[in-house]
Amino acid sequence: MTTTTSPGAPAPTTAHHRRMTPTKWLKKNLFSNWYNSLLTIVFGAFILWVVVSLARYLLHIDTEIIRVNLKLYMAGRFPNEQLERLWLAIYIAVAGVALLARATVSNAQRKATEAGIEFHRSSWVDVLRRFWPIGALVIFTLSFTETITPTLLTLVAAAIGLGAYWIGAALPAWIVRRLWLIPVVGAIAFYLALAGFGGVGWDLWQGFFLNIVLTVAGISLAFPLGLMLALGRRSTLPAVRLLSVTYIEFLRGVPMITLLLMGAFALGFLIPGDVQFSLFLRILIAITLFQSAYIAEVVRGGLQSVPKGQIEAGQSIGLSPWKTMRLIVLPQALRNVIPAMVGQFISLFKDTTLVYIVGLLDLLRAALVSTSQPEFFAQGLDAVVLPFAALYFWVGSYVMSRESRRLEKKLGVGVR
Amino acid sequence: MTDQTVFSDATQAAGTGESMIELTNVDKFFGDFQALKDINMRVGKQEVVVVIGPSGSGKSTMIRCINRLEVHDSGQIVVDGVELTDDIKVIQEVRKETGMVFQQFNLFPHLTVLENITLGPRQVRNLPKKEAEDLGKELLEKVQIPEQAHKYPGQLSGGQQQRVAIARSLAMSPKVMLFDEPTSALDPEMIKEVLDTMQELAESGMTMIVVTHEMGFAREVANRVVFMADGEIVEVGTPEHFFENPTEDRTKLFLSQIL
Repeated sequence: MTTTTSPGAPAPTTAHHRRMTPTKWLKKNLFSNWYNSLLTIVFGAFILWVVVSLARYLLHIDTEIIRVNLKLYMAGRFPNEQLERLWLAIYIAVAGVALLARATVSNAQRKATEAGIEFHRSSWVDVLRRFWPIGALVIFTLSFTETITPTLLTLVAAAIGLGAYWIGAALPAWIVRRLWLIPVVGAIAFYLALAGFGGVGWDLWQGFFLNIVLTVAGISLAFPLGLMLALGRRSTLPAVRLLSVTYIEFLRGVPMITLLLMGAFALGFLIPGDVQFSLFLRILIAITLFQSAYIAEVVRGGLQSVPKGQIEAGQSIGLSPWKTMRLIVLPQALRNVIPAMVGQFISLFKDTTLVYIVGLLDLLRAALVSTSQPEFFAQGLDAVVLPFAALYFWVGSYVMSRESRRLEKKLGVGVR
Repeated sequence: MTDQTVFSDATQAAGTGESMIELTNVDKFFGDFQALKDINMRVGKQEVVVVIGPSGSGKSTMIRCINRLEVHDSGQIVVDGVELTDDIKVIQEVRKETGMVFQQFNLFPHLTVLENITLGPRQVRNLPKKEAEDLGKELLEKVQIPEQAHKYPGQLSGGQQQRVAIARSLAMSPKVMLFDEPTSALDPEMIKEVLDTMQELAESGMTMIVVTHEMGFAREVANRVVFMADGEIVEVGTPEHFFENPTEDRTKLFLSQIL
């Protein structure tokens, strides 16, 4: 499309852009001949109709159901008297992410400085541009609260995040060298904050919180397992190879719902002895097993994309097969499959709503439950709560996919 | 069969006389296709051997057998007194002492130039980071691109990349350098810078086997030239013998086609 000039403002006069008045632009692009004009009018009318109906719908929505059930949507039936534990866990998560983010940036910065290269740290504007959908979603959520408390507690979370980000630049060297400590310690603290010392066990982790926990835990478990399976599939040991292939092909051939139902109703019979896993754990296992098979295939694609010459070069300088894999092949393979991998993570995130089938009260089920409450029953409120629930998944998926594109660009995928 | 020439036999090494590489009755098959037929060759310490021949003649296969990127099917390959076997420890021992430069450079695109060079010393020779980097910078100085240390291979020209690849091999302080058509993927104006680097290396006393189509390099730098065709060593001789007075018809035909 040609650039347009806004009325009153002078047109940009670069070599490639011709000056064009709005009228000329309209004529050229929308009304160049009779059928083009017809299309413009028909589609214009249609878009106008959609916008007007949507606006009328949104203006007349009664958000009472959301205001009443907000806690149910976000945290399910998490005991009200223990809610401070949930906030504490959120604070730990926020602090952990902020620490890790800053430490990673500082690391890159230090490395660049040592090498004598200029380092461009992303500005606040960049960070805002990257994560505004999340911020907007939080504000949107808070707009349905009936007291000021959640807003204040959220502000505390923001303050903690900023503080942790600030501290992240000054972490002692022994932590910087072992950054994996932050997620590991964070996860333990997170669990203890919720469930430790007479707290709330994971069978009561519900609502959107459950979707998030299942996503993060699912990715953290399925990714390493998938990686091992992908390597196993390429192993020179026939037994390992056969085992990996069988596992991958079997799990990819089964619908996820089947696995969830098996996790819920059959896994108990398959596990010998008196070991009893809670429903949450069984579902997490089912999700992990299922996703790891897909991740293995994504990683395999990445492994195949690394030219043979890379392996030969690694061998020729005397690297062992394992080091060649770890230092040469894997970094390139994983870099090449970032888009596919994030796609897999996004589908995992959305698939966590399937747990409603086995009776876990996630955001989707909470939404459906709320419309069967006596005061909201049979009023067509599904049309309110389902888009509301969808919004949360859309924002999450959108941010993930944008971050993936950014990472791709930064690591120069496709640039050799 | 290997033909004897009036000047030299492939098994008689020049250089210091002590042998660095010995191939004895080496055969190699790809399926039914015999890529190497009863190869016998000896390369002396500090000797520079240039291998020429039409494509598909087995030149690359032969030098790739020397650091076991290809596995030979029968015969014996000995590198600096170590015979290549299936034992991964032996193979790695040989690879540590054998540098290789590839036609396609094969630099690691996800590492900087300096990291490419220090990877081997740090991971295989267990050199501390600082020492490895000093060594890397010294080698970049030697191949005359010290200013590129912190760039990524993709940001360099082909000639620069190939010189980095040479530095990467040298960082392991190898006893032998194998060059597999190092200038074939380069633009014409970059060939010279790479050949100059190789010539300097030869003059410093490095043992080298070079597969190349650069006849000027063969004439000037080689101690001996080996001509291969159809998986066999057809003729071996000094550059003078080779370019002025070849004995074999196949050599004459080949030289008439390329010179």
